[in-house]
Amino acid sequence: MSEQLDHSFRGAQRALAAALPPGAMLDRGGALELAALNPSEAPRLIAATLVEGGSMRRHQVGEPVAQFAAFLDGTQVSRVMTYRDAVPVVHGTVAAVVRERRDRRMGTWGRPIVRHRLYVPRALVPAAFWERLESTGLEISDTSDAADGSGTPHPFALRDAAIHRVQKDRERAEHELAEQWCGSESRPLFVDGGISGSAVAQSSCAVGVVKSHRTLYVEGADLVTVLALGEGERSSVLRITSPRRTTVASWYLRLRDASGRDPLWGLVRVEMKAEDDASAGEVGHRADEISRWILAETSPVSLPDARWDKMVYGIRDCEEFLKVIQ
Amino acid sequence: MMGRVVATERKPNTPHEFHFWTALDSPVGIGTIVRVEGSTAVGGQVPRIYGVVVEGFSYTDLQSPLHDVMGHDGAPGNHAMSSTERAEIRLYTAHVLRQIPEEPLQPVPMGSVFLADDADVAVALRMDGYLREGESTGIPIGIYRAGGTEAAIHLDADFLLGPEAAHLNITGVSGLATKTSAVEWVMQSIFTHFPASKGSVAALCFNVKGPDLCFLDKPGILDHADRAIYEKCGVPAGPFENVQYYAPYKSDGFSLNTLRSNEALLDNVTPLTWGLREVLQYAEVLLNKDDVDAKADAMIDFIKENVLDRPFSDPMLERTHTVTSFADLEQWFRDVLRALEKKDDQSWRTHHVATIRKVRNRLSNISTRCKGLVADDGAVSDLPFGTFQDRTVYVVDIASVEEDAQDLIFARVVTRLREHLERRDLGVNHVVVFVDELNKYAPSDGADTYVRKMLLDLAERGRYLGLVLFSAQQFRSQVHRRVVGNSGTSLFGRMDADELATPGYAVLSPATRTKLSTLEKGQLMVRHPHFTQPIFVRFPRPAIMRGRDGAELYPQATDVTLEHAVTRSLRALDPSVTLAWVQDTIIMHEPEAVLKARNATVRARPDDVRAFFRSQFRPTVSGKAAQRPAAPAVLRTTPADDPYGF
Repeated sequence: MSEQLDHSFRGAQRALAAALPPGAMLDRGGALELAALNPSEAPRLIAATLVEGGSMRRHQVGEPVAQFAAFLDGTQVSRVMTYRDAVPVVHGTVAAVVRERRDRRMGTWGRPIVRHRLYVPRALVPAAFWERLESTGLEISDTSDAADGSGTPHPFALRDAAIHRVQKDRERAEHELAEQWCGSESRPLFVDGGISGSAVAQSSCAVGVVKSHRTLYVEGADLVTVLALGEGERSSVLRITSPRRTTVASWYLRLRDASGRDPLWGLVRVEMKAEDDASAGEVGHRADEISRWILAETSPVSLPDARWDKMVYGIRDCEEFLKVIQ
Repeated sequence: MMGRVVATERKPNTPHEFHFWTALDSPVGIGTIVRVEGSTAVGGQVPRIYGVVVEGFSYTDLQSPLHDVMGHDGAPGNHAMSSTERAEIRLYTAHVLRQIPEEPLQPVPMGSVFLADDADVAVALRMDGYLREGESTGIPIGIYRAGGTEAAIHLDADFLLGPEAAHLNITGVSGLATKTSAVEWVMQSIFTHFPASKGSVAALCFNVKGPDLCFLDKPGILDHADRAIYEKCGVPAGPFENVQYYAPYKSDGFSLNTLRSNEALLDNVTPLTWGLREVLQYAEVLLNKDDVDAKADAMIDFIKENVLDRPFSDPMLERTHTVTSFADLEQWFRDVLRALEKKDDQSWRTHHVATIRKVRNRLSNISTRCKGLVADDGAVSDLPFGTFQDRTVYVVDIASVEEDAQDLIFARVVTRLREHLERRDLGVNHVVVFVDELNKYAPSDGADTYVRKMLLDLAERGRYLGLVLFSAQQFRSQVHRRVVGNSGTSLFGRMDADELATPGYAVLSPATRTKLSTLEKGQLMVRHPHFTQPIFVRFPRPAIMRGRDGAELYPQATDVTLEHAVTRSLRALDPSVTLAWVQDTIIMHEPEAVLKARNATVRARPDDVRAFFRSQFRPTVSGKAAQRPAAPAVLRTTPADDPYGF
């Protein structure tokens, strides 16, 4: 039955409408990610260890060179389908794809991943309701850990918990593809976002490029230096360590001239495998090389995407592709 | 698979139009025929749709051209620095040629798109209905070529030469050797493939300009590509086997008024001369309405019925007249007018003297305007009405003839063809009449001439008789719409942009119009009753000598003397005739008598040409040698002793 079942949002709507009492379904629901874009996480500065030179400096990286063979990105969409006793039932779709560059044109590498799930806190809904959901054949993810046991939480809290679970699923899909790539290819892969949460952080074939800067890994004078980076300049390389993530080497790179714009405009943070036994010179040389690869991806511009200052065209292509298939 | 059908709410598919995208390197272009395989069965049958590409679109994911400018910092050369090409689409619009099943007629479904192969092309254009083995009525018009497909395109003889539909019209700019070449190619194809069961077919071409039709029996130069098309279409790559040329004389009455006047080519050139009767039958072609009022018309009828070709006597006239030529007619008019003056009368046999003078004036004017065509002696050398031969081309060269004479020839020949076809005694069952410069003969505006009326009649009723009009012009929009509208088949060569902007072409997509305006030599767009959409085909060069080459290889004969002209004419019948013999034979005779003798000989084609030609002259009094008068008697000499002489 599950093979024939349509797990997409529309399919899930039909399945639930058949399983639940009339009128239980919401008429329409926008993507929760749009609402969740309002950053709840406070901006912060975290000091990181400098691994290149004794102080934070600006480095000219040189002329762009196109070397990336493929680009990886993932997307997610979550929508509330119904509420049961103020508990949202969220349908989430995650997708990820590697788009390979062949003869200067983008094509899909391997098989993209598309997954659909319902996200429901089992502990907060009646058992009969849970059984009804299960009877639809749809895949269900239990988000009960979002409840603290003190009664029914705020519906938004449950909703946010579902979104975070969807986000985790999306990251998992991205990591799967990145690992597939690095398991079979030695050519460099451009990954949208950080790689420290993935096993590929220990591989030299993947380079993560982070566009958001809610957390900046520099403080004080170093921050001033980073924000003053000119077009085609990078910062000195840092080591970023996190208890639950893999340590990576990272640096900031200015993709475009930010004159007259905010200081984060055109600024990305690059992550690559941390080479513990590499000298500072070797690390810097590698950072220059990868920075040149990234700069080569600034053309064509990814307009009309609003993030075009930081987003390379290959990643936009991934997003457009995923929009179609998810 | 070459593409996928797509449809959006803004750009939906309909039963007659659909859209599909392809890879960037797909061999699809405007005019390509494609096949769509549906995925969902309707009534137990998976739909299959055939279409022809009429429009193409290409775009990238750019929302504004300005984004590209910004992306390259305003320097186009920076494009080379881009490591990735933008996502790009090739989106095509196709018009439906055929849907299978044909009922229910539904919008084109989403499906896979394939390049049509040979068999698909036949089905798409409904040629499968008339190309059945053993009963084919297909006439190859050229080949359709796209991707790896090369398929012969056939017209249906029943819709080209009647009786279902008929006529062919071709439009295109001048100077690209498309219109005449295409017609020559189609005629070769018809002569090869016209089914025997449909009867015989001949062609009659009016050469109204240049030498293009003057060397139809001489081989031309073909390249490998041309020969391949001939082979694919099953048409022998050779000139027409049977061609007969007809041309009037020049005003001198003995030099043929044709570009095919080279002596080496005269064996199948026949003079076209008509007498007074032939001309008077079509007097209204040459006389406009102001000339021929009811009274003048009555006078002409009187002449036709009572005077022409029979002895005519009247007590008032000085003598009995037998009018067989314009010269005789002039004598008759003089006699009538003289008699009226003598009697001081104003009318004769109900005809007013002014009417008589007017008719005399107009008719004698015809003989001047059509000199060379109209024989003063009434001699007639005409097309072989009644003995037309199957698969023969008859060319009437009127390129150098005065406009009035062109109209006269045109009107009379076509009318005679129609009369004979109505009686089924022309000699063939179908005749293709080719007329170039239709703008001139059947214009959409201007006076309603006899020729235009006749062409309209031919276009509207000819198909029932087997009289088929193949016409050509540069501007279709300027031809009478009933003439082109009745053409079942229309061909379009390269078109002028101004012409394409006229309303008649609004049904074509902008891309199709663009393709029409840039068509290369040897390409045509074809509309045919079986084809629901226009199709682009390639046709080969005709396997005949180009007019320009022929004119260089066989230069036109310079104006010759009467003796030379007569020698040429007679030598065509008897090669032993020499110039010296002709000079000796005609030296004592007037030019009119010589031409009369020549015409009679050419018409009779006797076994003994010399004897027949000589016998045409009135015998002259044989010369008698002068005799020396008898010498006078010798006078007696005076005796020396007779001083008085006694």
